[in-house]
Amino acid sequence: MKWRRWIRAIHRDVGYVAVALILAYSLSGLAVNHIEDWNPSYTFETRAFDLGPVPGATGGEQAAFVIDRLRLDPREVRGHFQESETELRVFLPEGQEARLDVRTGKGKLKSIHKRPVLFEVNALHLNNLKGVWTYVADVFAVALVFLAISGMIMMKGDRGFLGRGKWFVGAGLLVPVGFVVYMYQ
Amino acid sequence: MHRPMSFVRPLLILALATAGTACDSSTASPPKSAKTSPAASATAPAAPAPGQSFGAGVKLTETTPVATLLADPKAHVGKTVRVEGQVVDVCPKRGCWMDLAGDAPGQKVRFKVTDGEMVFPVDAKGKHAVVEGVVAVNELTLEETREYVAYQQKEYGAEKDPASVTEPMVIVRIDGTGAQLRDRK
Repeated sequence: MKWRRWIRAIHRDVGYVAVALILAYSLSGLAVNHIEDWNPSYTFETRAFDLGPVPGATGGEQAAFVIDRLRLDPREVRGHFQESETELRVFLPEGQEARLDVRTGKGKLKSIHKRPVLFEVNALHLNNLKGVWTYVADVFAVALVFLAISGMIMMKGDRGFLGRGKWFVGAGLLVPVGFVVYMYQ
Repeated sequence: MHRPMSFVRPLLILALATAGTACDSSTASPPKSAKTSPAASATAPAAPAPGQSFGAGVKLTETTPVATLLADPKAHVGKTVRVEGQVVDVCPKRGCWMDLAGDAPGQKVRFKVTDGEMVFPVDAKGKHAVVEGVVAVNELTLEETREYVAYQQKEYGAEKDPASVTEPMVIVRIDGTGAQLRDRK
Protein backbone atom coordinates (compact mmCIF):
# COMPACT_ATOMS: atom_id res chain seq x y z
CA MET A 1 0.00 0.00 0.00
CA LYS A 2 1.14 3.53 -0.79
CA TRP A 3 0.49 4.86 2.72
CA ARG A 4 3.24 2.68 4.15
CA ARG A 5 5.72 4.24 1.76
CA TRP A 6 4.69 7.68 3.02
CA ILE A 7 4.88 6.58 6.63
CA ARG A 8 8.41 5.25 6.06
CA ALA A 9 9.50 8.46 4.35
CA ILE A 10 8.06 10.68 7.07
CA HIS A 11 9.40 8.38 9.82
CA ARG A 12 12.86 8.59 8.27
CA ASP A 13 12.86 12.39 7.96
CA VAL A 14 11.26 13.10 11.33
CA GLY A 15 13.89 10.73 12.69
CA TYR A 16 16.66 12.79 11.11
CA VAL A 17 15.26 15.97 12.67
CA ALA A 18 14.92 14.28 16.04
CA VAL A 19 18.45 12.80 16.11
CA ALA A 20 20.06 15.72 17.95
CA LEU A 21 17.45 15.88 20.69
CA ILE A 22 17.23 12.11 21.07
CA LEU A 23 20.99 12.01 21.67
CA ALA A 24 20.88 15.03 23.99
CA TYR A 25 17.97 13.69 26.04
CA SER A 26 19.47 10.19 26.18
CA LEU A 27 22.81 11.54 27.39
CA SER A 28 21.07 13.65 30.00
CA GLY A 29 18.82 10.73 30.95
CA LEU A 30 21.84 8.59 31.70
CA ALA A 31 23.42 11.39 33.72
CA VAL A 32 20.32 12.32 35.69
CA ASN A 33 19.35 8.69 36.28
CA HIS A 34 22.33 8.42 38.63
CA ILE A 35 21.75 11.69 40.45
CA GLU A 36 21.99 9.86 43.79
CA ASP A 37 25.61 8.99 43.02
CA TRP A 38 26.93 12.17 41.46
CA ASN A 39 26.03 15.68 40.47
CA PRO A 40 25.16 15.50 36.75
CA SER A 41 25.55 19.23 36.09
CA TYR A 42 28.39 20.49 38.29
CA THR A 43 31.79 19.46 39.58
CA PHE A 44 33.11 20.70 42.91
CA GLU A 45 36.70 21.52 43.72
CA THR A 46 38.11 22.12 47.18
CA ARG A 47 41.43 23.71 48.13
CA ALA A 48 42.60 23.80 51.74
CA PHE A 49 44.25 26.88 53.26
CA ASP A 50 45.64 27.90 56.61
CA LEU A 51 45.64 31.59 57.51
CA GLY A 52 46.35 31.26 61.22
CA PRO A 53 43.98 32.62 63.88
CA VAL A 54 41.67 35.26 62.39
CA PRO A 55 41.69 38.63 64.19
CA GLY A 56 38.64 40.88 64.38
CA ALA A 57 35.74 41.35 66.73
CA THR A 58 33.00 41.17 64.12
CA GLY A 59 32.23 38.91 61.20
CA GLY A 60 32.87 41.86 58.88
CA GLU A 61 36.37 42.43 60.24
CA GLN A 62 37.16 38.76 60.08
CA ALA A 63 35.84 38.55 56.51
CA ALA A 64 38.02 41.52 55.51
CA PHE A 65 41.08 39.74 56.94
CA VAL A 66 40.23 36.55 55.03
CA ILE A 67 39.69 38.45 51.78
CA ASP A 68 43.04 40.20 52.21
CA ARG A 69 44.98 37.05 53.11
CA LEU A 70 43.47 35.02 50.29
CA ARG A 71 44.24 37.90 47.92
CA LEU A 72 40.65 38.11 46.76
CA ASP A 73 39.29 41.17 44.99
CA PRO A 74 37.01 42.84 47.60
CA ARG A 75 34.83 44.16 44.77
CA GLU A 76 34.02 40.59 43.81
CA VAL A 77 33.06 39.45 47.28
CA ARG A 78 29.30 38.98 47.57
CA GLY A 79 29.14 38.85 51.33
CA HIS A 80 29.83 36.72 54.35
CA PHE A 81 27.90 34.64 56.85
CA GLN A 82 28.72 33.40 60.31
CA GLU A 83 27.63 29.79 60.22
CA SER A 84 28.37 29.63 63.93
CA GLU A 85 30.39 31.64 66.47
CA THR A 86 33.56 29.99 65.14
CA GLU A 87 32.80 29.27 61.50
CA LEU A 88 32.89 31.99 58.87
CA ARG A 89 31.86 31.76 55.22
CA VAL A 90 32.84 34.30 52.57
CA PHE A 91 30.92 34.20 49.31
CA LEU A 92 32.54 34.87 45.96
CA PRO A 93 31.22 34.95 42.37
CA GLU A 94 30.32 31.78 40.47
CA GLY A 95 29.28 30.00 43.67
CA GLN A 96 32.81 30.01 45.09
CA GLU A 97 33.09 30.09 48.85
CA ALA A 98 35.82 30.33 51.47
CA ARG A 99 34.81 28.54 54.67
CA LEU A 100 37.01 28.52 57.72
CA ASP A 101 37.30 28.15 61.46
CA VAL A 102 38.22 31.60 62.73
CA ARG A 103 40.00 30.16 65.78
CA THR A 104 42.57 28.29 63.71
CA GLY A 105 42.29 30.00 60.32
CA LYS A 106 42.10 26.59 58.68
CA GLY A 107 39.55 26.30 55.94
CA LYS A 108 38.62 25.39 52.41
CA LEU A 109 38.09 27.33 49.23
CA LYS A 110 35.27 25.64 47.35
CA SER A 111 34.68 26.17 43.64
CA ILE A 112 31.88 25.01 41.39
CA HIS A 113 32.31 24.25 37.69
CA LYS A 114 29.68 23.43 35.13
CA ARG A 115 30.16 20.07 33.44
CA PRO A 116 30.69 20.83 29.75
CA VAL A 117 27.89 19.54 27.50
CA LEU A 118 26.11 17.77 30.37
CA PHE A 119 25.11 21.05 32.02
CA GLU A 120 23.52 22.22 28.78
CA VAL A 121 21.75 18.96 27.86
CA ASN A 122 20.45 18.61 31.42
CA ALA A 123 19.07 22.15 31.29
CA LEU A 124 17.22 21.22 28.09
CA HIS A 125 16.09 17.79 29.25
CA LEU A 126 14.88 18.98 32.67
CA ASN A 127 13.28 22.03 31.08
CA ASN A 128 15.10 24.44 33.36
CA LEU A 129 14.67 27.03 30.65
CA LYS A 130 10.86 26.92 30.77
CA GLY A 131 9.20 29.45 28.41
CA VAL A 132 9.36 28.68 24.70
CA TRP A 133 11.50 25.60 25.30
CA THR A 134 8.47 23.93 26.90
CA TYR A 135 6.70 24.02 23.52
CA VAL A 136 9.79 22.81 21.65
CA ALA A 137 9.97 19.87 24.09
CA ASP A 138 6.23 19.23 23.58
CA VAL A 139 6.74 19.05 19.82
CA PHE A 140 9.66 16.68 20.39
CA ALA A 141 7.50 14.46 22.60
CA VAL A 142 4.79 14.34 19.92
CA ALA A 143 7.48 13.51 17.35
CA LEU A 144 8.64 10.60 19.53
CA VAL A 145 5.06 9.32 19.74
CA PHE A 146 4.84 9.52 15.96
CA LEU A 147 8.19 7.74 15.55
CA ALA A 148 7.05 4.95 17.90
CA ILE A 149 3.72 4.39 16.19
CA SER A 150 4.97 4.83 12.65
CA GLY A 151 7.92 2.54 13.39
CA MET A 152 5.49 -0.10 14.54
CA ILE A 153 3.29 -0.02 11.47
CA MET A 154 5.59 0.94 8.62
CA MET A 155 6.49 -2.65 7.70
CA LYS A 156 4.11 -5.36 6.59
CA GLY A 157 4.29 -9.10 6.33
CA ASP A 158 6.49 -11.28 8.50
CA ARG A 159 8.61 -8.35 9.61
CA GLY A 160 5.60 -6.15 10.29
CA PHE A 161 3.67 -5.64 13.50
CA LEU A 162 1.33 -8.50 12.70
CA GLY A 163 4.33 -10.73 12.03
CA ARG A 164 7.15 -10.89 14.54
CA GLY A 165 6.67 -7.23 15.46
CA LYS A 166 3.91 -7.93 17.96
CA TRP A 167 6.21 -10.16 19.99
CA PHE A 168 8.92 -7.52 20.20
CA VAL A 169 6.36 -4.86 21.15
CA GLY A 170 4.94 -7.19 23.77
CA ALA A 171 8.40 -7.91 25.18
CA GLY A 172 9.10 -4.18 25.39
CA LEU A 173 5.79 -3.65 27.15
CA LEU A 174 6.37 -6.45 29.65
CA VAL A 175 9.45 -4.80 31.16
CA PRO A 176 7.79 -1.58 32.40
CA VAL A 177 4.55 -3.40 33.25
CA GLY A 178 6.54 -5.87 35.33
CA PHE A 179 8.16 -3.03 37.29
CA VAL A 180 4.82 -1.27 37.80
CA VAL A 181 3.31 -4.49 39.16
CA TYR A 182 6.35 -4.86 41.44
CA MET A 183 5.93 -1.23 42.55
CA TYR A 184 2.39 -1.86 43.80
CA GLN A 185 3.17 -5.11 45.57
CA MET B 1 9.17 5.87 -9.07
CA HIS B 2 7.39 8.63 -7.22
CA ARG B 3 9.48 9.95 -4.34
CA PRO B 4 7.60 11.72 -1.56
CA MET B 5 10.49 14.12 -0.99
CA SER B 6 9.14 17.41 -2.26
CA PHE B 7 8.35 18.55 1.28
CA VAL B 8 11.91 18.12 2.54
CA ARG B 9 13.37 21.38 1.25
CA PRO B 10 10.57 23.61 2.63
CA LEU B 11 10.83 21.77 5.97
CA LEU B 12 14.56 22.37 6.19
CA ILE B 13 14.13 26.03 5.32
CA LEU B 14 11.41 26.32 7.97
CA ALA B 15 13.61 24.60 10.57
CA LEU B 16 16.57 26.87 9.83
CA ALA B 17 14.36 29.95 9.97
CA THR B 18 12.89 28.81 13.30
CA ALA B 19 16.35 28.13 14.68
CA GLY B 20 17.43 31.61 13.69
CA THR B 21 14.40 33.12 15.36
CA ALA B 22 14.97 31.03 18.48
CA CYS B 23 18.56 32.24 18.74
CA ASP B 24 17.40 35.83 18.35
CA SER B 25 14.72 35.48 21.00
CA SER B 26 17.04 33.71 23.42
CA THR B 27 19.37 36.64 23.42
CA ALA B 28 16.63 39.24 23.42
CA SER B 29 14.21 37.79 25.94
CA PRO B 30 15.29 35.28 28.56
CA PRO B 31 13.11 32.33 29.56
CA LYS B 32 10.16 32.84 31.89
CA SER B 33 11.68 31.01 34.81
CA ALA B 34 14.72 33.23 34.89
CA LYS B 35 13.71 36.63 33.66
CA THR B 36 16.67 38.92 33.76
CA SER B 37 15.96 42.57 33.96
CA PRO B 38 17.90 44.99 31.80
CA ALA B 39 21.38 45.25 33.24
CA ALA B 40 21.33 47.55 36.22
CA SER B 41 23.59 50.50 35.75
CA ALA B 42 26.62 50.49 37.96
CA THR B 43 26.32 54.26 38.21
CA ALA B 44 22.83 54.13 39.67
CA PRO B 45 23.11 51.98 42.80
CA ALA B 46 20.07 53.58 44.46
CA ALA B 47 17.64 51.68 42.24
CA PRO B 48 17.31 48.06 43.44
CA ALA B 49 17.87 45.63 40.61
CA PRO B 50 14.75 43.45 40.05
CA GLY B 51 17.05 40.54 39.26
CA GLN B 52 15.94 37.08 38.18
CA SER B 53 12.36 36.08 38.82
CA PHE B 54 11.29 32.49 39.52
CA GLY B 55 7.88 30.86 39.66
CA ALA B 56 4.99 33.20 40.38
CA GLY B 57 7.36 35.92 41.54
CA VAL B 58 6.96 37.91 44.74
CA LYS B 59 3.71 39.81 45.26
CA LEU B 60 3.73 40.65 48.96
CA THR B 61 5.32 43.94 49.89
CA GLU B 62 5.85 43.46 53.62
CA THR B 63 8.89 41.43 54.59
CA THR B 64 8.92 39.10 57.58
CA PRO B 65 12.46 39.06 59.01
CA VAL B 66 14.05 35.63 59.30
CA ALA B 67 14.60 36.30 63.01
CA THR B 68 10.87 36.97 63.56
CA LEU B 69 9.94 33.82 61.69
CA LEU B 70 12.37 31.67 63.67
CA ALA B 71 11.47 33.27 66.99
CA ASP B 72 7.91 31.96 66.80
CA PRO B 73 7.53 29.72 63.77
CA LYS B 74 4.24 28.16 64.91
CA ALA B 75 2.58 31.56 64.76
CA HIS B 76 3.34 31.68 61.03
CA VAL B 77 2.40 28.12 60.03
CA GLY B 78 0.16 28.09 56.97
CA LYS B 79 0.63 31.78 56.36
CA THR B 80 2.08 33.19 53.17
CA VAL B 81 5.11 35.32 53.93
CA ARG B 82 7.73 37.30 52.08
CA VAL B 83 11.24 36.77 53.38
CA GLU B 84 14.54 38.34 52.32
CA GLY B 85 18.08 37.32 52.97
CA GLN B 86 21.46 36.36 51.64
CA VAL B 87 21.53 32.98 49.94
CA VAL B 88 23.96 30.83 51.93
CA ASP B 89 23.25 27.44 50.36
CA VAL B 90 21.55 26.06 47.26
CA CYS B 91 20.52 22.48 46.53
CA PRO B 92 23.55 21.32 44.54
CA LYS B 93 21.72 18.56 42.70
CA ARG B 94 18.30 19.81 41.70
CA GLY B 95 18.39 23.50 42.60
CA CYS B 96 15.15 22.89 44.50
CA TRP B 97 15.93 24.79 47.70
CA MET B 98 17.86 27.76 49.01
CA ASP B 99 18.84 28.63 52.57
CA LEU B 100 18.39 32.29 53.42
CA ALA B 101 20.40 33.86 56.21
CA GLY B 102 19.08 35.98 59.04
CA ASP B 103 21.11 38.56 60.91
CA ALA B 104 22.40 36.39 63.74
CA PRO B 105 25.13 33.74 63.37
CA GLY B 106 23.74 30.43 62.13
CA GLN B 107 20.28 31.88 61.63
CA LYS B 108 18.79 30.61 58.39
CA VAL B 109 15.57 29.36 56.89
CA ARG B 110 15.03 26.96 54.02
CA PHE B 111 13.01 27.98 50.98
CA LYS B 112 11.84 24.79 49.26
CA VAL B 113 10.09 24.28 45.94
CA THR B 114 8.82 21.21 44.12
CA ASP B 115 11.64 19.63 42.10
CA GLY B 116 11.78 21.14 38.64
CA GLU B 117 9.14 23.79 39.31
CA MET B 118 11.83 26.37 39.88
CA VAL B 119 15.53 25.66 39.50
CA PHE B 120 17.87 27.90 41.48
CA PRO B 121 21.40 28.17 40.12
CA VAL B 122 24.07 26.72 42.37
CA ASP B 123 26.14 29.86 41.87
CA ALA B 124 23.43 31.95 43.59
CA LYS B 125 25.32 31.62 46.88
CA GLY B 126 26.02 35.07 48.28
CA LYS B 127 23.27 36.73 46.28
CA HIS B 128 20.27 38.41 47.85
CA ALA B 129 16.97 36.54 47.59
CA VAL B 130 13.45 37.79 48.07
CA VAL B 131 11.07 34.86 48.37
CA GLU B 132 7.42 34.20 48.95
CA GLY B 133 5.74 31.06 50.20
CA VAL B 134 3.80 29.27 52.88
CA VAL B 135 5.43 28.56 56.23
CA ALA B 136 5.65 24.96 57.39
CA VAL B 137 7.14 23.65 60.63
CA ASN B 138 8.38 20.13 61.23
CA GLU B 139 9.26 19.14 64.78
CA LEU B 140 11.68 16.22 64.69
CA THR B 141 12.51 13.75 67.41
CA LEU B 142 16.16 13.31 68.38
CA GLU B 143 16.37 10.16 66.26
CA GLU B 144 14.75 11.89 63.29
CA THR B 145 17.14 14.81 63.74
CA ARG B 146 20.14 12.50 63.53
CA GLU B 147 18.71 10.85 60.45
CA TYR B 148 18.08 14.28 58.91
CA VAL B 149 21.63 15.44 59.65
CA ALA B 150 23.01 12.18 58.27
CA TYR B 151 20.97 12.67 55.10
CA GLN B 152 22.22 16.26 54.72
CA GLN B 153 25.77 15.01 55.17
CA LYS B 154 25.42 12.21 52.63
CA GLU B 155 23.33 14.05 50.08
CA TYR B 156 24.77 17.57 50.23
CA GLY B 157 28.14 17.16 51.92
CA ALA B 158 27.04 19.08 55.02
CA GLU B 159 29.83 19.08 57.57
CA LYS B 160 27.79 18.55 60.72
CA ASP B 161 28.34 15.12 62.24
CA PRO B 162 25.10 13.27 63.11
CA ALA B 163 26.83 11.86 66.19
CA SER B 164 27.26 15.39 67.53
CA VAL B 165 23.50 15.99 67.58
CA THR B 166 22.19 16.08 71.15
CA GLU B 167 18.92 17.98 70.77
CA PRO B 168 15.94 17.53 68.47
CA MET B 169 15.52 20.05 65.68
CA VAL B 170 12.59 22.11 64.61
CA ILE B 171 12.75 22.63 60.86
CA VAL B 172 11.16 25.81 59.63
CA ARG B 173 10.57 25.80 55.92
CA ILE B 174 8.97 28.08 53.41
CA ASP B 175 7.15 26.14 50.71
CA GLY B 176 7.88 28.45 47.83
CA THR B 177 5.58 29.94 45.26
CA GLY B 178 7.96 32.52 43.84
CA ALA B 179 11.34 34.13 44.26
CA GLN B 180 13.66 36.82 43.04
CA LEU B 181 17.44 36.69 43.02
CA ARG B 182 19.41 39.92 43.09
CA ASP B 183 23.09 40.67 43.00
CA ARG B 184 22.65 43.03 45.93
CA LYS B 185 19.97 43.90 48.47
